[in-house]
Amino acid sequence: MSLTPASQPAQPERRRFLQWIGQWSVVAAIVTQLGGVVRAFVPRVLYEPSKKFKLGKPSEYPEGVTFVPMHRLFVARERNQFHVISATCTHLGCTVEWKDKLAEFQCPCHGSKFKADGLPFAGPAPRPLEWYPLSVSGDGFLVVDSGKSVPPTYRFAIA
Amino acid sequence: MTMRARLIRLWRWVTWTWSPASEREASTAIVENLWLHWFPAKVAEASFSWSYSLWLGAISAFLFLILTVTGVLLMFFYVPSTQQAYWSIKDIHYVVGFGWLLRNQHRWAAHLMVLVVFLHMLRVFFTGAYRAQRSANWLVGVILLLLTLFLSFTGYLLPWDQLAFWAVTVGTNIAKEAPLVGAALRFILLGGTEIGQSTLVRFYVLHVFVLPAAVLALFAYHMWRVRRDGGMAVTDPASAGVDEPREASPVAGKTYSLFGVTPGTSLETRAAGPFGDEAATFSAPHLLRRLMLVFLAVFTLTIVLSLISGAPLEEPANATLTPNPAKAPWYFLWLQELVAITTLRLGGLTLSGGLIGGILVPGILLAAGVAWPFLDRSPLRTVGRWFPRERRLQNTVLCIIAFIMLVLVLIGMLMRGPYWQLYWPWQAWPEMPRRL
Repeated sequence: MSLTPASQPAQPERRRFLQWIGQWSVVAAIVTQLGGVVRAFVPRVLYEPSKKFKLGKPSEYPEGVTFVPMHRLFVARERNQFHVISATCTHLGCTVEWKDKLAEFQCPCHGSKFKADGLPFAGPAPRPLEWYPLSVSGDGFLVVDSGKSVPPTYRFAIA
Repeated sequence: MTMRARLIRLWRWVTWTWSPASEREASTAIVENLWLHWFPAKVAEASFSWSYSLWLGAISAFLFLILTVTGVLLMFFYVPSTQQAYWSIKDIHYVVGFGWLLRNQHRWAAHLMVLVVFLHMLRVFFTGAYRAQRSANWLVGVILLLLTLFLSFTGYLLPWDQLAFWAVTVGTNIAKEAPLVGAALRFILLGGTEIGQSTLVRFYVLHVFVLPAAVLALFAYHMWRVRRDGGMAVTDPASAGVDEPREASPVAGKTYSLFGVTPGTSLETRAAGPFGDEAATFSAPHLLRRLMLVFLAVFTLTIVLSLISGAPLEEPANATLTPNPAKAPWYFLWLQELVAITTLRLGGLTLSGGLIGGILVPGILLAAGVAWPFLDRSPLRTVGRWFPRERRLQNTVLCIIAFIMLVLVLIGMLMRGPYWQLYWPWQAWPEMPRRL
């Protein structure tokens, strides 16, 4: 090395140690900074619609299955019994469609089919469609909490 | 040898062909000439062949150049916002003067680049040009292929139409199926739990800066590495019958002034390869002339294709209506087919097609591609020749894999109709609603 001085340093150990400190502090600084950069890409706040939202009044939904495009879900009604099934296919997230004559859900992307209770019986979907719990707001609207899921035995009765 | 010495040796092996004897020599070599790393002074005549390499590497580089220029021009008119993206693309296509040409050319060059990079890889495999010292460059090539695909995928979202929205929905849900890291990966990629404004900006910045910069850096290394490894495989002594790996090393003696125009002679360049100086030709003008010819052909092809057929633009993105059928870009259709047919049910356990077809199968193919240069035991004298007898088995296997991929792509492209039903290309599909 042409940069090494001809005369030996008085304390080579100390010099090497200081050099070591210098190099690794640069590495540590870069790694810390990178950690900050990675953190920046994990959002702290999501400006997404709330997972809990209002639908219409129970009386607006006819007997049978009604698609609610805005929230990508189906409202099913049997007399005064309600339940809500997600329209998001459990395979790769396309929107499934309700086929009234066949009483089944079909996915347009990869051909998955689900029974009326959301159980998959054909195609690649690995899991049943999600069921969400219902409640009624003070002003009489159905409220869905799509952050939670319930088993397919769930029914919400309107008095 | 200590760990540190090993690392230093590895670092030298990766970055240096020769170590300068003095600081002065090192500086001189670098600063004397602007075109220092552009071309070697002389190139072996064998590597000029049209039929050996098919010039696929050069073609993909020129497609990248066309994509960069048209891409920068498109950036002047495109607005990466969920409110305006669709309408700015529509303006580019129907209002901006010759905007349609820019957009079509960008689209066609992107499709062609995916195709040509893949063909380039097949060529390198079939000619065994990834062996011995060239294995490092094969790995760089694998990364470049992945970057090309990711570039294409990020560009796919930008028009913010139905095609874009649903292709990316399906694509990012495949990423979600990856074990352990999948959900976090999708969350960071989308910047949230659903495709929205943060997704669009992330894909945009990746598409116009991060990924092209990565491609450019690796492309530079790829080219430098070709020279470091002794030029193209067809010029190897191995392909001339010398059956031992050769570490490329400087051959003493010859000095050239680059391009024959600079007066300096201090720069030592490697002689022209194992066949000696007589079998070599000056790069300028011979190599340069052929490259210009290839560029002209590639440019003309993208223009002609753009005049014949335009880039599609469907209805604006609508999260509540999945188009039927919804398809991935053509180069991912083989994956889409796999994803749709590989869901396994073993007793109570269900393995999603997203995991098997979307992650495991391509993951295994990728791992095999990465490991192959180190597993291949065929004799080195076959390097640099098309379909030699000794490599028949592995070439056949790759042909079969490529053929299966092609068939799956064609099925997905031509035969998949609404609800994923199969139709013959000449059969009409039932009418499907395009809006609610």
